[in-house]
Amino acid sequence: MGSEPIERRVAYIGDRLKGSKCPFCGKEYFRTRKYCGDCGRKSLGKMIDIDFFYEKGVLETCTVVREPTNRFTRFGAYVYGIISFHNGRVRVPGRLTDMIIGSDKSVDLDSLEGREVVPRFRRRHSVDKSDIIPTISLAFTFADEYYPYQPYEIVKPSKEYDAPGIVGYGVYVSKFRIREGAMERSVPFIDEDAITAAVEAGKIALIHSGVDHKLIGKVYVGSESNPYAVNPIASKVAQVLKLGEEEKAEGVQGIDAVDTEFACKAATSMFKDAMALVCYPKDPMDYAMVIGADNAQAAPRGEPGGELDFFVGFGGAAFIFGMKDVIAEVEGWYSCTSDTPDFWRRDLEPYPRHGGRFTGEPAYFKHIIKAGRKLMEKLNLKPSDIDYFVCHQPNPAFPARAAATLGFKPEQYMPGLQVSKFGNTYSGSSPIGLAAILDQAEPHKRIMIVSYGSGAGSDAYLFITTEQIKEKRSRQKFTVKYQAENKFIEYVDYATYRKFKEGL
Amino acid sequence: MKEPVAIIGVGRTRFGEHYELDPEDLIDEAGLMALDSAGLERKDLDACYISDYLLQVTNKIGLEEGFISQLLEMNIPIEKMRSFSSALMNACNAIEAGRYDIVLVGGMEKMTDRWSKIRDNLMLLVDHWSYYAGGTPESIHELLLREYIKEYNIRGDDRQKLMEVLAKISVKNHRNAVFNEYAHFRREIDVKRVFAAREEERRLLGLYDFAPISDGATAIILASLKKAKEYANDAVYIISSSMATDYISYPSRPYRTGFIASKIAMENALKMAKISLHDIKLLEVYDQSTVLEMISLEDLGFVKKGEAWAKLYESFENFSGFYYLDGKQIFVNTNGGLKADGNPLGATGGAQIFEVVKQLKGEAGQRQIKSDGDLTYGCVQEIEGFGTKVYVHILGREKGGK
Repeated sequence: MGSEPIERRVAYIGDRLKGSKCPFCGKEYFRTRKYCGDCGRKSLGKMIDIDFFYEKGVLETCTVVREPTNRFTRFGAYVYGIISFHNGRVRVPGRLTDMIIGSDKSVDLDSLEGREVVPRFRRRHSVDKSDIIPTISLAFTFADEYYPYQPYEIVKPSKEYDAPGIVGYGVYVSKFRIREGAMERSVPFIDEDAITAAVEAGKIALIHSGVDHKLIGKVYVGSESNPYAVNPIASKVAQVLKLGEEEKAEGVQGIDAVDTEFACKAATSMFKDAMALVCYPKDPMDYAMVIGADNAQAAPRGEPGGELDFFVGFGGAAFIFGMKDVIAEVEGWYSCTSDTPDFWRRDLEPYPRHGGRFTGEPAYFKHIIKAGRKLMEKLNLKPSDIDYFVCHQPNPAFPARAAATLGFKPEQYMPGLQVSKFGNTYSGSSPIGLAAILDQAEPHKRIMIVSYGSGAGSDAYLFITTEQIKEKRSRQKFTVKYQAENKFIEYVDYATYRKFKEGL
Repeated sequence: MKEPVAIIGVGRTRFGEHYELDPEDLIDEAGLMALDSAGLERKDLDACYISDYLLQVTNKIGLEEGFISQLLEMNIPIEKMRSFSSALMNACNAIEAGRYDIVLVGGMEKMTDRWSKIRDNLMLLVDHWSYYAGGTPESIHELLLREYIKEYNIRGDDRQKLMEVLAKISVKNHRNAVFNEYAHFRREIDVKRVFAAREEERRLLGLYDFAPISDGATAIILASLKKAKEYANDAVYIISSSMATDYISYPSRPYRTGFIASKIAMENALKMAKISLHDIKLLEVYDQSTVLEMISLEDLGFVKKGEAWAKLYESFENFSGFYYLDGKQIFVNTNGGLKADGNPLGATGGAQIFEVVKQLKGEAGQRQIKSDGDLTYGCVQEIEGFGTKVYVHILGREKGGK
């Protein structure tokens, strides 16, 4: 089943919702066209590329599908309808996502029609396990609910810095949660995975930074839950977010895109690489993007590796690094590595295994504390010189203990401690903590982040926020706090959580 | 039309599930019946136009022309189209052009052989982008209904009446099929049952609002006017054959409360036939859903846009087999329509033609209609996709108006 060329073509148009606009009469089309039907020959070759990826549409009419076609059966019931963009200049079919409709639940269609929606990048439908994973952005959520509408406007940079740093970031955590005791964990909807989370996080980072997507020269995606064993997430991210200059004739993006893997530090490891590239003396890139995204996997409870099932989360964070309009300049970094296999997954195994007690002292604590201490020594700093501290968060207890061991106080490490809201988002874990700090930090504050990746190693960085952190905040609606304390969060039971995590 | 084309024979199989038969068995049966009723031999045929949508998908076979050639043991020109009406139109074109005199038009479909996957195939055929967005063959009809409700602001009691009208369309079609020995479903249902199915499924439209998935075949024999005289005294004539198209993607169409292709095809058909709409008392519409029967009456011009639900509601208050629209009687889907007669896609149009021929000739037995005044003309609307292609054929006892 499945045709690779068809998948390529459908995704090329459908992931981004590409279309065309006539430069003469303004007529718009979903899907690219070479000419305008009304203006004819004079428009041939002059059509303007448009897309609806960052747009807001209206759900004009809809119905509930309760008996989907075969490839959609895992969705259960869903709302399907017609979405219009630009006051009805373009209409597309669409499915509302992030909605659980029980078989006994009626839906009042009148109350849904006429509401504003935003496109979401999701898996399209089920396929065989060995097939290419189909994706599409003809999935929508209401613009006034969990995922808010945010326009993407490219802002001309106003200030150049001496040191590289973070110019923008985005965090994406799904709307669904499971609550057990004091801990809440994010649960993907059934059409989400590490790929969709990486794209969503990158999209929010572009919106927040105001950076021109064409100027990003490299994108790294760190994940340990790529649904493919072979095939990068980063290529999808680059194409959907149109990173780098597009060579339209061939449909390729002028960007280097690569996936990285080192358990939960797959993303943080690349921060320094990204920063090195943007200040490389000979041929610097304007910007580089690093994303950490995971749909953290765990065996069912009671099975080997099932202890992880109490802590795994879902989500991602994206950071854009550059030298212009920096919101947090880097001061220094330190990494350490050792051959300490405390968490692993063999090829073809569905779930990772876990070293139990061995994951604590000789693994997590040893590396985090080493990296944190060394970086402070290197820069001649004491914990009291640092305003915020954040480290990898596999559970609520470990990061607090690591922080205390390093000499940090709760007021320094609590703002970045998010594990009890989202669970362990693996590659996204310490980056989401860093984002939570950036969401609230005043200018000229020093932040230390120390990641941990099983296997094992830690990356420590020190950043100092700049004046510009405040001016960009108006473009960050989807803050970590917003996602943690949102009234549209929907809690699911254990069975639904397992089903959603398995995905389509 | 330059010259009407005569229908000198009709044939069909029962519609429904034919576990034991291959598609070529079905077309063989329908074809023999058509030849028989025309009093022709195989060797009299100059050409064949046949139709099916999905044999390549349902039965993994193609080159239907070869199957027909082998059945006929002839080497005449044979071409395959998708819908019966498409085959019919192409056959008419060839006869009008003077190329052939006697042509068999046949349609077949074997949908139940792919029971578990057929809905995916149907939806992909209708519009693959709608499929990718989660659309189903049923949900698009519900969207049309929602567009209609929205456009004409039908609320409260009126909404209830509209839903009742749709239920009664289904009830009427089931009743009509009771006397149709070839129909897929020959049992009456009541309004309660239609509503119960909708409620049980928690959907806008339920099981009894949609045509079934059927197997079947149909065939007719066409003759040029000069040949028709040799074979039949009481031929029925095709006095217009018209079609129009629309965008594959329903959401992208400017007109979404019906099918613009229906409207255009009908207007052209009437011009071609040189008759007025009111000369038509017998109508076979493509009721893939109850909504489509209602909407088609508007698109074809029998009732103003946005008024069908109210006019049909009145008609159903004292219903005796026909709608009363604009002061005129109109008999619709007297064979039970797609809803009850069945819908083996490629063959469906043939059953519609079959019915109109039988009614016009007064050979419809227990379901023969009794119209006020003469029953001279009948009209057949067939749709491919979801309004993507609409064919209108007008048939007459006479060779057209003046």
